[in-house]
Amino acid sequence: MEKALLKNYGNAETHKIDVYIAGGGYVALASAMKMQSDQIIQLVKDSGLRGRGGAGFPTGLKWSFIPKDPTIPKFLCCNADEGEPGTFKDRGIIDFDPHLLIEGMIIASFAFGASKSYIYIRGEFAFGAKRLETAIKEAYQKGFLGKNILGSGFAHDMYVHRGFGAYICGEETALLESIEGWRAQPRKKPPFPALSGLYGKPTVINNVETLSCIPAIISRGAKWFSSIGPEKSPGPKIFGVSGHVKKPGLYELPMGTTIRELIFDHCGGMSSDRPLKAVIPGGVSAPMLNANDLDTKLDFDSLASKGSMLGSGAVIVMDSSTCMVKTAYIINRFFSHESCGKCTPCRDGTPWLTKVLKRLEHGEGRIGDVELLERLCSNIFGRTFCPLGDGAVMALRGFIKNFREEFQYHVDNKKCKAA
Amino acid sequence: MVTVKINGKEITVADNTLILEAARDAGCEVPTFCYQADLMGLGSCRMCLVEIEGQKKLQPSCITPVLHGMSILTDSSTVTAARAGVLEFLLANHAMDCPVCDKAGECELQDMVYKYGPAKGAHAETKFKFHEKDYVLSPVIIKNSNRCVQCTKCVRVCREVVGVGVLGSVGRGDHQEETSFLKGLLDCDQDGNCIEVCPVGCFMRLPYRYKARQWDLKSADTVCPYCATGCRMVIEERDGVVVRARAQHGVGVNSETLCSRGRFGFDFIGNAERLTTPLVRKDGVLVPSTWEEAVAVIKENLSAFEGSRIGGVASPRLTNEELYLFQKLFREVLGSPNVDSSARWDSSGVEAFIKAAGMNEGGVSVFDCMDSDAVFIIGSQVSEENPVTDYIIRRISSGRRMNLVIASPRAMKLDSSAQTVVRHNPATEGALLKAIILTLNENKLSVSAGINAIKETKLTDCVASSGVSLEVIKRIADGLKNAESISILVGTEFLRFPEGIDGLDLLKDVCRKSLGKKLRILPLLDRCNQRGAWEMGVHPGFGTGYRAIAGRGMGTHAMLEAATRRGLDAMYVAGVDIASMYPDAGHAREALSALKFLVVQDMFLTDTTRLADVVLPSSAFAEKDGAFTNQEGRVQTIARLKNPPGKAKRDGDIIRAIGQSFERSFGPDNASLVFDEIRREAEMYKEVSLVFNNKRNIDNKLDNKEALVKASSALARGFSAWNGGAPSSEETGDYPFTLMTGNHLFHSGALSSNSASLSGLLRAAVVEISNEDADEMGVKSGSLVRVKGMTHESDMKVIVRRGSKKGVAFIAENFADTPVNRFFSRGRSGARVSITRLG
Repeated sequence: MEKALLKNYGNAETHKIDVYIAGGGYVALASAMKMQSDQIIQLVKDSGLRGRGGAGFPTGLKWSFIPKDPTIPKFLCCNADEGEPGTFKDRGIIDFDPHLLIEGMIIASFAFGASKSYIYIRGEFAFGAKRLETAIKEAYQKGFLGKNILGSGFAHDMYVHRGFGAYICGEETALLESIEGWRAQPRKKPPFPALSGLYGKPTVINNVETLSCIPAIISRGAKWFSSIGPEKSPGPKIFGVSGHVKKPGLYELPMGTTIRELIFDHCGGMSSDRPLKAVIPGGVSAPMLNANDLDTKLDFDSLASKGSMLGSGAVIVMDSSTCMVKTAYIINRFFSHESCGKCTPCRDGTPWLTKVLKRLEHGEGRIGDVELLERLCSNIFGRTFCPLGDGAVMALRGFIKNFREEFQYHVDNKKCKAA
Repeated sequence: MVTVKINGKEITVADNTLILEAARDAGCEVPTFCYQADLMGLGSCRMCLVEIEGQKKLQPSCITPVLHGMSILTDSSTVTAARAGVLEFLLANHAMDCPVCDKAGECELQDMVYKYGPAKGAHAETKFKFHEKDYVLSPVIIKNSNRCVQCTKCVRVCREVVGVGVLGSVGRGDHQEETSFLKGLLDCDQDGNCIEVCPVGCFMRLPYRYKARQWDLKSADTVCPYCATGCRMVIEERDGVVVRARAQHGVGVNSETLCSRGRFGFDFIGNAERLTTPLVRKDGVLVPSTWEEAVAVIKENLSAFEGSRIGGVASPRLTNEELYLFQKLFREVLGSPNVDSSARWDSSGVEAFIKAAGMNEGGVSVFDCMDSDAVFIIGSQVSEENPVTDYIIRRISSGRRMNLVIASPRAMKLDSSAQTVVRHNPATEGALLKAIILTLNENKLSVSAGINAIKETKLTDCVASSGVSLEVIKRIADGLKNAESISILVGTEFLRFPEGIDGLDLLKDVCRKSLGKKLRILPLLDRCNQRGAWEMGVHPGFGTGYRAIAGRGMGTHAMLEAATRRGLDAMYVAGVDIASMYPDAGHAREALSALKFLVVQDMFLTDTTRLADVVLPSSAFAEKDGAFTNQEGRVQTIARLKNPPGKAKRDGDIIRAIGQSFERSFGPDNASLVFDEIRREAEMYKEVSLVFNNKRNIDNKLDNKEALVKASSALARGFSAWNGGAPSSEETGDYPFTLMTGNHLFHSGALSSNSASLSGLLRAAVVEISNEDADEMGVKSGSLVRVKGMTHESDMKVIVRRGSKKGVAFIAENFADTPVNRFFSRGRSGARVSITRLG
């Protein structure tokens, strides 16, 4: 398959606008500018593109919620706060192909009439932020940004906003709060950002990878896009593979590639002789799968039917040497550390889980701890303000469901089974 | 309207009603920590989760509006399980130190755990602690974050209602702490509203710490004795000592808010310096005496003088009943028309003010004022003089589109809520208003008499003297022109400088008669019963209910003037410290010393009582029954909580005792009978309802219109307009600053300096100047400067206020160590001073 998203990955020159243009860049923008904005939205709807940030919401549909009234200012925010452990796909685009993102953002903004757009980039991505800032400057110089873009009369400004170092900043409404200068905590929904988002104005928030798909959809058409992968969630997808595989890294593959294909065909198999024990298919909040589920297709619906989710497409592979209690503890510690503090179940529930898991890991488990974990999970799940708490619980539930006996072993024997 | 089913019961509520409110309407209790109707909705505590049929997840009822046909369950097993789960989480890191917590007994967390909590908690891990010991945030606030439930009501009330934003959330997750940077409240109003909204013992009153348990307290419903906003509050005592004042959500104009004076300033009541026994001057020294002797001395001396040679000044902090008796004593028993209620303001200025502000037209609700399209605040430092009025304005103006204009020489907190902020020269309110009228009149309005009077006045002159640009004046005029309804909130600067009043009177006529606007005028006053004092007739120009009287008496100014000319023999001063409040200290002292006989009734030894022949110990608001009339004209009762200390008596009883020594039948005998007489005497008070109290119920609304005084038709003749003439022009060379005075946020008159808490917030006088002047002089907040006027000089610290008018200095009027009235002298409008840096 010809790559659409990672075609310039690893190339030392493609972040420069001239090199990008020479490779066929900004052609899609020029052709989009000749289309009606409704046509673009329809095209994206037809392509079947679903948001790559994790929730998989149809992108075209999201854009179509934006009010058509031209007197209301509208905003586009690109969520580049890539913070979920295991995920590093957006960085690949930002570092090597910033213009792909910028082009996609200009087309998106043109489609629903956003006058300004913000790239909310994770604070730690200093290199990427500089790349983007330089790229935006170049785009202004070439007339792709600013007033009267390519003679169409459409005006657009783009800004890079560096994040403040919290996982919660990646939650779309917390991201908006953060851009506005407030403490990053999620907002209540409704109203949804499409009606009242940044500064109370209609706002679309899209992931980097989602927006980077747009130029290809414009230039190659909706049919091309929807023909890749399964019908319900088509298109190319970047998988960021880490863990016990021979060749970890970013892989652009069609949606619906199976885990087995990904690990053994593309990543060169397991890194040692030890057998595969578990796979987290979509970042740490996605419930894990075990060795029996290797033929599961990596797309939104197939994983959902397995009780897991595609999330950001960050595949974490673990072999038999991995202690599941320790892994669960480390992952849960991340969530409790990153809980924003707004709602009670997440704020006070996730640290409690962490304390129990820590005891288990350190051989201080008590009888009834596994049941306690399950009870706490059910007290958190579905009762939190935003999906952060749910994510923590889903991950932990995945561990307990698949490896309950290992947890129990820790309780009974005060030591690890895997080691 | 939408119809929903709550626990099977159908109820019809307005569109967009929150599920929680609808459930409460239906009589179903929904517990919550973070919800408060007038604060921004948060939905964070998750106590209010309810089940909506057809929805998989429980929904937070405090941020979810009802939809037609919704079927909601507030106590299904899922809901109760969720509540128990939330409480278990809240208790996980909670300090659980109820036995030493001030909040125990009235703690929402305790109550909820008792009612909805899990039978047994499973948390057996080490608790996270923010700190080992409680820390002091400010002289009045102490904090224990380990008890916090993270409802962030404190942060929201600080930002949305008080408007300072001192508090914020620091840290993340279970380390999130609601506090301020550096754990010190740097620019705090010290109002303790964070304490009031705190559902647990996280924010606590420092003065109340370990003083009592909630169940030991005896309480009384009362009204704050400081400014005239008329905040309802509950004061509580233990063993005869008032230990706490608090407000209640949904009760009174103030709802749950109070300012620092209201919340912490009650401790003057228990001050050890209170006078407890009558004092009579013998051989030049005041010696303790008995009431019988003191009253006999008073009777003997007063009988010796002709009525018209006796004067009386009563404090606008006495109750209506006491003030009524006071003027009755003078007019009917002593035969003197000389009564007044202020040492600070000229009585003819007061008369003009009452007329211009239309106070005889009945009460005006502040909430109705805030319903107007345009609100114009002029002549008032509302954020400091009437802090709770400031909260009300901020709260309402943030929620609706309105044109808020603030005109004041000094910057204030409320400026941030205003569309237009005007910085005019001090004492030029009249010029500013005339400039606005002349701008409005450009298109030749149908002429009302007043406009003829100023048709000779040149717009350019007015603009020049007010020091405001024509562009800003035009903007204000346009704002008034485009509004259908206008409210003007006028403050005490008009009373200090009455030459501005005719401008106000004229603007009222222009707006109402020529432009046909719906206009309301609300006076903003700084003493709790100032309006009541006037309406009771404690004024030389009119009687009870603004009724015309036969002969005009002398006001305070005239009395002091007469005393120096030996035209007045005796004075009876009830609760006013004339020597330190009259705007010419030297003259006041001279006049009081020249009297043949001076009776002073006060709670404390003041500069005035030191000059007295007889000193009578009186009572605080917590020690008596009665009613105050606030600035809006709302009549609200106060209730007795304790007895006065020692032999001190209630002011009403003292006045009655003096009256009865002359006439046995002087009365009536108690406060409620006096009020009945007031109802008969003053038409305005005839139908006023006093039933409003501090009970939270549906009828007990914030805006209780039944308590407003009605219009008075008793006004037999037009009030005299101000004819004091223009202020004399001043040399400005040596004295570049114009000195303003008024109330400080933490202080109000002499009363507050007897409060240990308030004195702890600000002990010594400070002079406030603009940042421009400070930069020029090279001083910062805290630098020591010398303030020099023509008659007095004093050294004090400087406070820099960003955005104030250049060339304006402000010193509050209450400090005993730096009586600001020493800078003033009679016959000059305002005072000019120079400020030089020391060291």
